[in-house]
Amino acid sequence: MSHELTIWDLPRLLGYQFFQFALIGGVIVALSCALVGLFLILRKEAMLGDGVAHTSFGGIAIGLYLGIYPLLTALIVSVVAVLAISYMKRKGVAHSDSSIAVFLALGFSTGLIVISLAGGFNIELFSYLFGDILTIDAFDLMTVSVLGMVVLGFIGIFHKELLSVTFDAESSRLMGIPVRGLETGFSLLVALTIVLSIKVVGIILVVALLVIPGLSALQLGRSFRSTAMFSIVFGTTSVLMGLLLNAIYNVAAAGVIIFTSTGLFLFVALYKRLE
Amino acid sequence: MMGHELAEINLGQQSVHKETSKEVISIENLNVFRNGTQILKDVDLRINSGDYVGIVGPNGGGKTTLLMALLGNLARKSGTIKLFGTDIQKFTDWHRIAYVSQDAINFDNSFPVTVRELVSLGRLGRGRPGRRFKKEDWDKVEEVLEFMGLTGMARKRVGQLSGGQKQRVFIAKALVRSPELLLLDEPVAGVDAQNQEQFHKLLSVLNSQKGTTILLVSHDLAVVFCRMSKVVCVNRDVHSSELTPDLDPESFLRQGYGEHFHFVFHKHDCEADFSKQEVTINGGLK
Ligand SMILES: Nc1ncnc2c1ncn2[C@@H]1O[C@H](COP(=O)(O)OP(=O)(O)OP(=O)(O)O)[C@@H](O)[C@H]1O
Ligand SMILES: [Mg+2]
Repeated sequence: MSHELTIWDLPRLLGYQFFQFALIGGVIVALSCALVGLFLILRKEAMLGDGVAHTSFGGIAIGLYLGIYPLLTALIVSVVAVLAISYMKRKGVAHSDSSIAVFLALGFSTGLIVISLAGGFNIELFSYLFGDILTIDAFDLMTVSVLGMVVLGFIGIFHKELLSVTFDAESSRLMGIPVRGLETGFSLLVALTIVLSIKVVGIILVVALLVIPGLSALQLGRSFRSTAMFSIVFGTTSVLMGLLLNAIYNVAAAGVIIFTSTGLFLFVALYKRLE
Repeated sequence: MMGHELAEINLGQQSVHKETSKEVISIENLNVFRNGTQILKDVDLRINSGDYVGIVGPNGGGKTTLLMALLGNLARKSGTIKLFGTDIQKFTDWHRIAYVSQDAINFDNSFPVTVRELVSLGRLGRGRPGRRFKKEDWDKVEEVLEFMGLTGMARKRVGQLSGGQKQRVFIAKALVRSPELLLLDEPVAGVDAQNQEQFHKLLSVLNSQKGTTILLVSHDLAVVFCRMSKVVCVNRDVHSSELTPDLDPESFLRQGYGEHFHFVFHKHDCEADFSKQEVTINGGLK
């Protein structure tokens, strides 16, 4: 990648396979984060996203150490973590914020131990911590697409039930809606969404992409439907901005994504105050 | 021989069916404990199809607990409960029942959901989870919005409405289920007199014109004694009575509220309160 590229090189970039992979992967990440994140905010569980993301660091480190595909080990660790957190919450072992804190620390220390055994950080680990959208290869894209289809498919099919459970779980249960199954399903979606986002925004910043587009959308949307639409628009805009600036000016995509979504949030907030 | 047997079996089923369609609720010997204290004691109660039942009793008497038992929402209880003739353990037709909780309107006002969206969620729980809403679902939503006088605010965020308007939204959410049995827990708390009046008219219409069986927890004793067909008084013990003209409200209520309870009530008070009773289904509560 030469540094003399400008925005006018975009049509040429679109012809490259690495850019196409990045574009498709980025959009899937944006859609998944926007929708899962909106439900997370409304369920007041944003910390779950952060906790699982940090826990997945342990999975990445194990994968790198053992020479297994790191997103696979991250997926396993994240799924175990969300199931354990919801189990502890259900059985009253601990409030969900305390169990999240425990798993966050446990996962992160696992990562630290494994890394020290391996003899230190390497550059590959960095790409998982902070994402590296332009290095998405065919196998990554396939992983992201499969996980993305599960996430978007589940929400597409069960969004009304999820909305009902989010609004009032107790009355949903009395209406005959399978609340427990939906809540477990949603927790798994959180794990999947985080894992599929790692390549794009990285473990450290994924929670921001989960939460900020939804927060902006909540200021504008009146109906649930329009709020979800706004969240998708803000999330996608941010990711595309990150991809473009990364490809053209070689600025870290994750940083640009978070800056853009925060900028949009401030703009929307200001607009609402002035209105 | 065969033919004879068959006829007998059919006859048997028919009579069973007749009985089940009439008795909507039957509770026998229900006991409920919570943290070691008895909340409900030896409850026997029968509610027939088309009854309009007022549930009264002091705070903490166990009214909400009784409704929870009927909704299968109590882990520790003894006794038998039948809904539409089926033991509650085996009952699965929850779409025939709708419930509005005491604190339905206490939700986060910033929650992004419009009146129409929230009311449509009442259609969930029938059919398989995840099914798409069909035209019939949306038609029902529109019909109930119209009936409840909510059409004009269907696109508003629910959190922006007044307490009384929110109340109507939750009733609407219950009504889109086309329930045969409607359980309402004190839904007029905090609603002004005029809206309460409209609310009670609406329930009378539902009961008399659509035949919906209604159980309404209410602290408004005058409304109960004027309008309803049956009264249930809950204070650990449960007493019930048909509301016949020869029932003396005061002595009935003393069984639940205690010996010093005074309730001055004359049947002619009803006429003053509810003189304008005629309502048409589509008259709309504006
Ligand atoms: N979750 C609970 N755990 C333990 N005890 C409870 C619980 N809920 C209610 N109770 C107790 O059960 C008793 C009956 O409560 P319930 O809510 O059924 O009364 P109520 O008649 O509905 O009162 P109100 O008029 O105030 O709504 C009360 O003494 C209450 O303290
Ligand atoms: Mg109560």
